[in-house]
Amino acid sequence: MTLESSILEAPRAKSGFKSLFRPRKIRSALFLAFLTVAALVWILPLVWMFSLSVSANETLQSQTTSLLPVDFTIDNLLGVMQGGLTTRWLFNSLVVTSLTTGITLVLSAMAGYAFARIPFYGKKVVFPLVLAGLMVPREAMFIPLFLMFAEADIHNSYEALILPRIAAPLGVFIMTQFMAAIPADIEEAARVDGASRWVIFWRIMMPMSFPALTALGIFTYILTWNDFLWPLVSATQRDMFTITTGLASLQGNFAQATELGSLMARGVVASLPLLILFLIFQKQLVRGISIGSGGK
Amino acid sequence: MTSLYSGRKPRTGKVSLGKVESRENNRAAWGFLLPFLLVYFAFLIYPIGQAVVMGFYDLDLLVITDRVFIGFDNYFRMFWGSNMVWDLASMLEWRIAGMLLIVPIALGMRSGRVAKVEGVLYISLLTGIFALLMGFHPGLDGRWNDSQFWLSFGNTVLFVALSTPLIVGFGLLLALALHRPGKWVGVLRTLFFAPYVLSVSVLTLIWAFMLNPQLGLVGELFRAIGLEPVSFLTNPALAMPAIVVTTLWWTVGFNVVLFLAGLQDIDKNLYEAANLDGAGAVKSFTNITVPGLQRTTLLVVVLQVIASFQIFGQVFIMTRGGPNGATRVSIQHIYESGFRDLELGYASAMSVFLFLVMVAFSAIQFRLLRSEK
Repeated sequence: MTLESSILEAPRAKSGFKSLFRPRKIRSALFLAFLTVAALVWILPLVWMFSLSVSANETLQSQTTSLLPVDFTIDNLLGVMQGGLTTRWLFNSLVVTSLTTGITLVLSAMAGYAFARIPFYGKKVVFPLVLAGLMVPREAMFIPLFLMFAEADIHNSYEALILPRIAAPLGVFIMTQFMAAIPADIEEAARVDGASRWVIFWRIMMPMSFPALTALGIFTYILTWNDFLWPLVSATQRDMFTITTGLASLQGNFAQATELGSLMARGVVASLPLLILFLIFQKQLVRGISIGSGGK
Repeated sequence: MTSLYSGRKPRTGKVSLGKVESRENNRAAWGFLLPFLLVYFAFLIYPIGQAVVMGFYDLDLLVITDRVFIGFDNYFRMFWGSNMVWDLASMLEWRIAGMLLIVPIALGMRSGRVAKVEGVLYISLLTGIFALLMGFHPGLDGRWNDSQFWLSFGNTVLFVALSTPLIVGFGLLLALALHRPGKWVGVLRTLFFAPYVLSVSVLTLIWAFMLNPQLGLVGELFRAIGLEPVSFLTNPALAMPAIVVTTLWWTVGFNVVLFLAGLQDIDKNLYEAANLDGAGAVKSFTNITVPGLQRTTLLVVVLQVIASFQIFGQVFIMTRGGPNGATRVSIQHIYESGFRDLELGYASAMSVFLFLVMVAFSAIQFRLLRSEK
């Protein structure tokens, strides 16, 4: 459950009772204590949001700077979940993010398989062309994309939210790297047994690529869930907002002073799914980040 | 399992790499590639061409079928003004800073890591932009055609210049502190990374209130040490630094992850050898850690620059670009030109400009990525 404890392979020092009092140990313990305090301060803003979300709206009108809930209540959280637009936005985000992630994984893995395992005519041209796509800053390209979807008249739909996101050269790059490293003999054996490429892909390559798929998957999931600019541009009807754009639309015009607790409860609802996913998959996410950005 | 390529016969005996084999390979490979390539060209490559074309048109959002070709007028509007003059002193600090970029390129050429032709190209490009083009500005009684364009681009560059050293440096410090074994340190790593998974609107929800002088914790802290709480987001001098700090809190975890991976790649035996040779902690750091992290640092800097150029959500939600345009950034200007002023053609031209600026930086990342193999 901890962030990459395995990333560090150095063996842990055996800390006997006596060795605890060596100057080096004391220094190290002091440093850890300092780091711990720093980490706690670091997440204070997050703790504060959670605390406000379970505080009574009325009390928050006079007191907002407590780190512990004042007049504890779960009414705010219940209020958010009892229908209304926030639930709809949450549902939209869930649909869009899950489909985007799923489709991205399949498309990237298929292309990665072709690049990594099949010798074919044109590979020397197509592969660099796909890699060049890594350089395209998609945040700068939302105007032409908007026009494209406007001409096809499919804004304010799940398709419009999903399609631009699934063209992910990064995914292809990661899957190609990973699949190229899978030993060839298993695939050869299956081919000799007469298995088709399609069967090999689904039955052998996909299961064996599980580590890369989870890393890419969790990374894609977080980026898509948190995507702001494109949903803002494409989904302009209130019932098609994602939770990210929806929550943004509430800030500024919400009756902030009187319903701070409810507002923060919406923030909690918007971030909780990802925080939970993160706690489960953080190892994969960390790997996804480092292979995906050109680290190791 | 239904199979797309089930028509092929089971092979027996030796696998021959004949014509049949390679034709089958071609068919299979393109079959696997097709779905990706379709969306790739439709939604990533085609829009670039589309943006370039649209940049030459006067195109109203409300009547997108009614477009008028206006040549380079959009670019003229972006880059030019009335009574333009050239002088050396205009924006001198920025231009000197820009010219300093030549130093790493020259060093790269000397060490042979940057090809001669390429280096000369980059250097003449930098000289052209910083020494020559940036000397132009509106003279007496003159004004920019679109001063908002330069204001927002300047703010974007300012954000990049402030956030990059800060977020990269802080990320490195944190990574060095967190690069030690143990379960507990793992928990701490998790805590420092957690804000990264929040969406931008949760981030702004938290920090708009954190920084609110009456309601937030920062104001409370000021009161606790006997100071008058400051309204960061409504103060033109403090709004951008406040956005930078907010962004630091949000994204530093990403850099920490990359630095930790870089630290892990450094051969541990080097430290042991240095230790045996009697080198102290400081010497080990400057002689082993610093050179060992060179590639990672370059990568992190480039990624941070690219990410910082795309800044939008934080300012759009927290300050709307205010106060007085102090935090207005390029993407916001493009967004509002397109969707508030309904000028899609002009917005496209600005997209092309931003695209080119950002590609220049991602090209460096791309080189790093490819040099991997």
